[in-house]
Amino acid sequence: MRARTRLILTFLFPASLLYIVFFLYPALRALYTSFFDWSGFSDNARFTGLDNYRQLYRDDLFIESMSNTLTILIAGGIIVFGLAFALTILLNSGIRGRKLFRAVIFLPNVVAVIALTTMWSVAIYHPRFGLLKNGLAYLGLESWSTILFTSPQNIFKSMMAAIIWINVGFYVVLLMAGIDKIPTELYEAAKIDGANQVQMFYKITVPLLWDVITVGIVLWSINALKIFEFPFAFTALEPSPNTYTVAVYLYVMGFGQRTPIYRLGYATAMGVVLVLTVILVVIVLRRVMRREVIQY
Amino acid sequence: MKNVKLLTLLLVAALALPLGVGVSSGQDEVKLVYWSMWNETEPQAQVIQSWIEAFEAANPNIDIQATWNGRQNQTLVRTALSAGETIDFVDQDADPISGGLVAEGLALPLNEYLDETALDEDMPVRDVFTPGTLDLFAVDGQVYLWPYVYNTSQFWYNKDAFADAGIEQPPATWEEFLDACQKLLDAGYDPIAAESDIQFYQIDYLTYQAVRYGGVGFLLQTLEDPTGEMWRDPIYLQAAQNMRELWDKGYIPPESAGYLWPAGQQTLGVGLAAMELVGSWLPIELANVVEGSFEWGGFNFPAMPDGAGDQNDLMVYLLSFMVVKDTEHPREIADFLKFTTTQENMQQMADEALVGVTRVDVEWAPEIADGAAAAANATAVFGMADGGVALYPELVNNILYVNWSKLFLGEITPEEFVETMVDDQAEYWANAG
Repeated sequence: MRARTRLILTFLFPASLLYIVFFLYPALRALYTSFFDWSGFSDNARFTGLDNYRQLYRDDLFIESMSNTLTILIAGGIIVFGLAFALTILLNSGIRGRKLFRAVIFLPNVVAVIALTTMWSVAIYHPRFGLLKNGLAYLGLESWSTILFTSPQNIFKSMMAAIIWINVGFYVVLLMAGIDKIPTELYEAAKIDGANQVQMFYKITVPLLWDVITVGIVLWSINALKIFEFPFAFTALEPSPNTYTVAVYLYVMGFGQRTPIYRLGYATAMGVVLVLTVILVVIVLRRVMRREVIQY
Repeated sequence: MKNVKLLTLLLVAALALPLGVGVSSGQDEVKLVYWSMWNETEPQAQVIQSWIEAFEAANPNIDIQATWNGRQNQTLVRTALSAGETIDFVDQDADPISGGLVAEGLALPLNEYLDETALDEDMPVRDVFTPGTLDLFAVDGQVYLWPYVYNTSQFWYNKDAFADAGIEQPPATWEEFLDACQKLLDAGYDPIAAESDIQFYQIDYLTYQAVRYGGVGFLLQTLEDPTGEMWRDPIYLQAAQNMRELWDKGYIPPESAGYLWPAGQQTLGVGLAAMELVGSWLPIELANVVEGSFEWGGFNFPAMPDGAGDQNDLMVYLLSFMVVKDTEHPREIADFLKFTTTQENMQQMADEALVGVTRVDVEWAPEIADGAAAAANATAVFGMADGGVALYPELVNNILYVNWSKLFLGEITPEEFVETMVDDQAEYWANAG
């Protein structure tokens, strides 16, 4: 028994060490830092207890950032999975060029974020020369073509549309991989029993895909909560407060841009809140989505 | 046995000899670590690299190791210094570095070196700089920044468009400015180009109006008011109303509310718009957009009616070197900085990087010649948000920029802007303790 324990510990040691050094210690250190007013430039840090956390609740920009982040998580998530399911069903309906369409839908995932933000902000949404404006005008939708998609009122929704467009492909591939594993006999049997497409989707596809769906939703939740690159790069020269997410605002407050704020303690408090939010969301999702595993 | 001892002694001596030589020559060798805000391929970096090579050739014992970090330089420097890494000198935009490394007490005062005689010139180094540039970010008389690039904030305009609209002289007063805008509109131009997402461009309209109405330092004084009540001064409501008037009359085209940089400035480059209030880097940024015959001009923000400020008071964006306080080689760095400031080297920067520089006796590129004139004639210079960016970055970034941007883009009224500033600033100072 002792030899077995030693063996287990030996195998666990490298991974545990890496976990402690590269995750656990920095995480605990971040928690510790969040109780200080600290610029990060020197060792001069002033202990302020929970002040940073109290300030978060009075900080309009943090609240707006959190609201934007949760909107991406919830509204964006519903649309992403709705579209992913619709496209998955469409691609599995026997259309020709299935693999080609799947590759095209997935393509944004292999393109650099900066190229995507440039494409959306410059080529598509440009208020005078943009594809969207001219496309709508070409279709005779003159009143729609005058919409300023990147005005303060619309820029967040426009950015979210681009984020959705990028992410749908990943979840289509994920769902299609799951669907491919469902035995075709189940659908054939259902057809013989007179089931229609909708019934087959709810009675066969969804239950047998449940594990994949759960993993997909958890992945989306984590990525949506910590989303940074796209909102940061969408407005090229500096991030716009209208598109702040928590991660972007954290960066602005902690790492200084053209305005040298450098409040690393405060930014770390945001990071802690973000991590706690991720943990909470994942726990809730795991509980809500818990189902009996169907073996097939 | 004797032979073995002798052999050992000889061997030790043989090993120690070059070591001794190494130690001796090592004392003369000086390695300077320079972290830069430029990317290696940028023309400014290439000019600085050529300065480094020329300086090293003249001083063979000095080795300057440059790291080209790009605009995140200060943040990287912060992390590196915290980790104990040796960095001797850096460069960055003066406003952020003044509010960052300098404010944190990590910069070396440069006064004694600025009092030395300039290279090849019979005057103190401080006298070769364009007036105002050294003192702008000085703290209690101590100069921490050695500026070398000088960007002016002015209206940069298309001379042909102005001529086409019948405008013979750039406007000097607000009334003349509105008149020029109307003429440009009538001639079929968008008078003013603007970006919807660059708040530090948008704020220049407020900064300049505050400075023209109340004098240099008035906006800063307002920001320092813990009650926020100074925002109720009638000039701020007037400034906000003036701003909206530019939109309401179509001088700033409505689609500008959706322009994400560089969409706005490109309308100027392609001849649709006529001018933009921005730094003197604009003509160079648009060099690949404008046609060959495009002729640039620049004029100062107009004087406001009954304003206390002078129309020659100029907002500047300086780029500066900063020496890290704990460097072991301040003498050698100072020698290098003096070398960078020679007339010849400054002219090289102006010619090859096409930027303004911090010596009056250097000719700037033709596109930004009006910037050089504005710098030479400046009655006073001031930094971003009248110095507010360097001194109160969080107040400026999270409150002033945000509220002015909402006013700028028509999300709130001028009256709401004033009231919001009063409330938000009072709350900021109350929380700041």
